Formats: sequence, C-alpha cells, structure tokens
Amino acid sequence: MAPMELIIELLLMPLVAFVVGMMMVLMMRRIAAKLQRRIGPPFFQPLYDIVKLHSKQTQISHGLIHDIGIVMAMGGYIAAETLLPVPGMTGIAEKGGIITLLYLMMIPSLGLALGVGQCANPNGSIGIARALTAMLAYDIPLVIVIFGVAYAAGTTNLVDIIAVQQAGGFETWGAVQMPVLAIAGLIAMHASLGKQPFEIYIAPAEIATGPMVEMSGKYLGGLFVMQCFQLYTTSVLYVSLFLGGGTTWFDFLLKSFLVLAIPVSIAYLFPRYRTEDLLRLMWKWPVMLGLIGVAFVL
Amino acid sequence: MSSIKQIPVITERKGNPLARVFDEFVRFCRSRSLFILHYCTGCGAIELPPAMTSRFDMERLGIQPMVSPRQADILLITGYVSIKTLKRVILTYEQMGSPKYVIGICSCTVNGGMYWQSYATAKKLDEYMPVDLYIAGCMPRPEAVLAGLQKLMDRIHSGEANSWEDYFRNYDYYLGNQQKLFGENWQTPTDIITEAKHYDLIDEGTFGKHTQLLEQHQKPLEALDMRLGHDLKEPTE
Repeated sequence: MAPMELIIELLLMPLVAFVVGMMMVLMMRRIAAKLQRRIGPPFFQPLYDIVKLHSKQTQISHGLIHDIGIVMAMGGYIAAETLLPVPGMTGIAEKGGIITLLYLMMIPSLGLALGVGQCANPNGSIGIARALTAMLAYDIPLVIVIFGVAYAAGTTNLVDIIAVQQAGGFETWGAVQMPVLAIAGLIAMHASLGKQPFEIYIAPAEIATGPMVEMSGKYLGGLFVMQCFQLYTTSVLYVSLFLGGGTTWFDFLLKSFLVLAIPVSIAYLFPRYRTEDLLRLMWKWPVMLGLIGVAFVL
Repeated sequence: MSSIKQIPVITERKGNPLARVFDEFVRFCRSRSLFILHYCTGCGAIELPPAMTSRFDMERLGIQPMVSPRQADILLITGYVSIKTLKRVILTYEQMGSPKYVIGICSCTVNGGMYWQSYATAKKLDEYMPVDLYIAGCMPRPEAVLAGLQKLMDRIHSGEANSWEDYFRNYDYYLGNQQKLFGENWQTPTDIITEAKHYDLIDEGTFGKHTQLLEQHQKPLEALDMRLGHDLKEPTE
C-alpha cells in the first residue's frame, strides 16, 4: 500500500468512527426514549452536546494529569479505530492484529483512572475503582471468546478472520459456526459498554456519575466523544468476530447498529447490579459459556 | 443589578465573516443543548419529573438532567431558599462552568412568596446571584416550566443571556448582600476575583469595600488531604 493512501485511511477511519458513533449515541437515546414512551432528542443532539461542551468559556482543569488522562481516554480509542477493518479500508489492521486491539481498548479506562485521580473527588475515586473492577470482570470472558474465535480461524489477524467468515456466505459466519461463543461475547460486550444492568461505575443516583463527576466543559466533551468511539469499537469488533464484517457499507452499518440495539434495548429495562454481583455473574455465566464454546472449537 | 434591566445593545462585529458564522453556530448549539442541575429546595421540584418524563419530555428540546454542578449549564432553584440553603446554592453556582444560567422557579425565589415574613428565608434570589429567568407561580405547571426554558433558549441563541458575566462584573454587590446575610467572615472555596482576572471580566463593580473586607480575612485555598477517614469540616459556617 502506498504511504499516502495509508495516511488518508488512518485519518479517515477515526473520523468515520466518530460520525457513526454519534449516530449510535443518538440511536441509544432514541431507544431509551421509545421504551419510556417519550419522543426523544432531535437528530443532531449528540453533535449539539459535543459542540456546546467544547465551547464552554471556563475550563476547570485540576492539573496536568487530568488533561493527559482525557487525551489518553480519547487517544486509546482513536488508535483502536485504525485496527478495526471497515469495508474498503483496513488501515494497519493486518499488522496490528486482535491482541494489540485488546490492549488499546484497555487504555481509555486507565487514562480515565489517571485523570480522575487528580480530581480528588471521592465519588470519582469510587467510580474509577468500580470501572477497573468491571474491566476485570468483563475482560476474562472477552479474552476467552476472542481466543476461541482466533483459534477457530487459525489467525489473530482481524482481516483474515473476516475473510474466513465471508468465504462461504451466511453459513460460515462466526455466530452460526460458534453460537455458544457468540452468546458469551454478547454478554461480555454488554458489560463492556457499561450500560444497565452493568452500569456500576456511572450510577448517577448513587455516586454522581462516578468518573465524570468533576469533568466540565471540554473534559466532559472529551468523554462524550469517547463514548461515541466506545459504542462504535465494541459493536464493530463484535460484527467482525461473529457476523462476518461487512462487504458493503450498508451491510456493515446495518449489522453494527443491530448488534448495538440488543444490549441497549435490554439496558433501559433493568436497574443496576452491585459490583460483587457483576463479578459473580460475569465470571460464572459468560466464562462458562465461553469455555464450552472453546471446547467445541478445539 | 442584573443585566436583564439593561437594554441589550448588539454591536455589529467586524472581521472574519466565517468567525461570525462560527459564533452563530456555537450559540445555536449552546441553546439546543442544556444540562440542568435541579437544586430541589422547595415544593417546585415536584413539577420537574413530569416535565422530564413521558408526558412533556424535556429531552426533545435537548434539555437533560445532570448530577454534578461541573457538568451543568442551568441551575434550577425550585422553591424557597433558606439562609442555610443559600450558602450551598452559592457554592454550587460558583463551581459551575461558564456560560451558566440560573432559573428561579416558584414565587418564593421572586420575592419570598408565602415565606415573606420568615426570618430564615432569603427573599430575593437575584440579590445573591444573577438570575436569568424567573418562572413565577405557586407552583408553575410543567407547561410553564417548558415555556420558560424555551424563552431561555431564545435568549441564549440571540446572545442576550450573559448574566453570568454580571456575577464577575458586579461581584462587590453580590458579595455585600451575601455578607449581610452570612456575616463578615463569609468566604467560598472559589476565588471569584482571580477567576474574573483570568477571564478578563474585571469591571468597576468587581472591587469595592466588600471585596476589601473579604481580602482581610481570606484564607488561601489548600489542596485536600488525600487520605481516608479524616474529619470533613464544613466550609466556613
């Protein structure tokens, strides 16, 4: 690949992810509104929120690490987007592989932990402790699932995994070949989104949105951007692992939005688990399902 | 003292036409995305849940509740403010990021309402902080709350809703009223004068005899001790 072409792809992929992510945020809020029999926000509401937050006139910083933490939280996902192949663009997905992607998806939580630490707000500290515990809970089933898929495909290269699934049409999709792993992956994905019933670290009524409690202006705006990337990354990773990626953009976006609609629709029907319940649940059912699925693959 | 009384003079800005378009866009986004912090002081708070939920649905106007003052744009004071509560309201207001707007709901925030003769109630909210909008009524229905919020949105869009600058420009007046109520030792953890200097919002009314009084006894801000289980002290009771 020509270097110029690669640079354009590396710039375009996070940009596309951001735009699609904003639409995913909109979809999430519209689904919540429909479930609560409301009308919901207008189409450009996520954009209004982000522009408004970045145009606040006082920016309350708590220090250098606070600034760096937000940059890490956004940067981790921006780097992750370049490793997620989309129709027509692969970026550095062939060289990076799925293990690098998993590492990059952990960076935002750690960056947030750094940034929130300097805010010295007890609610923020409790929130970030819970966020890291939740990461421990959902990462184990997620790693088992990804190992299973990579073993079945015989490669850790995401482009090859998609190619294997697209080879025989619908029947070679990961979800058809490995349904048990797909279910375990869906639960792990739901937990990694941090939505109810796994919303232990935001918990607005209990710890005042946890990590976001001291964020204002562009810091909160950065976290809103991060949320767009988070929704995009999680659903596109699931589509790439189990639903054969996308051959066209229409195909690809339809699958990503549908996959995201499942946990989001479940989310607004349930209250929240406690931290220890989340750990018990995540380490029992998805791990068990994941191990059974891996046993089938082996 | 609030800027509502002043007749707004919209000066034609010279320079880059693109910058004007950008300013217009930012103002539009500000008016269409408002995070409210509802400080539920009195009975008016009961009218907010119906305004937020399925019957009237605030979110279609881009208004949604937030839980901490740092994240919020609008401070809703929903009822009478006792003197002890007013201290918390002022602390909350000073922590919010500008541009910030204050809405007083119910007649108690306008003139004390039925608490007019109470010794423990602050009567007029706009003596202690600049108020953008009052929604009178005892209590106003959710329709009235939404109509008031839409009016605020129009004011933000046209650039008139900048009474938050008034708090910096006339800090002496507001501080004087606060000192009259809370005593001369009143001090908030937020340093308004330094903030006004930093954002270039110093005016004639920023300094005066009340700010001089504040400077005499003002204790410098200290970082919080980062350990568990130490006694939390009340801020300057």
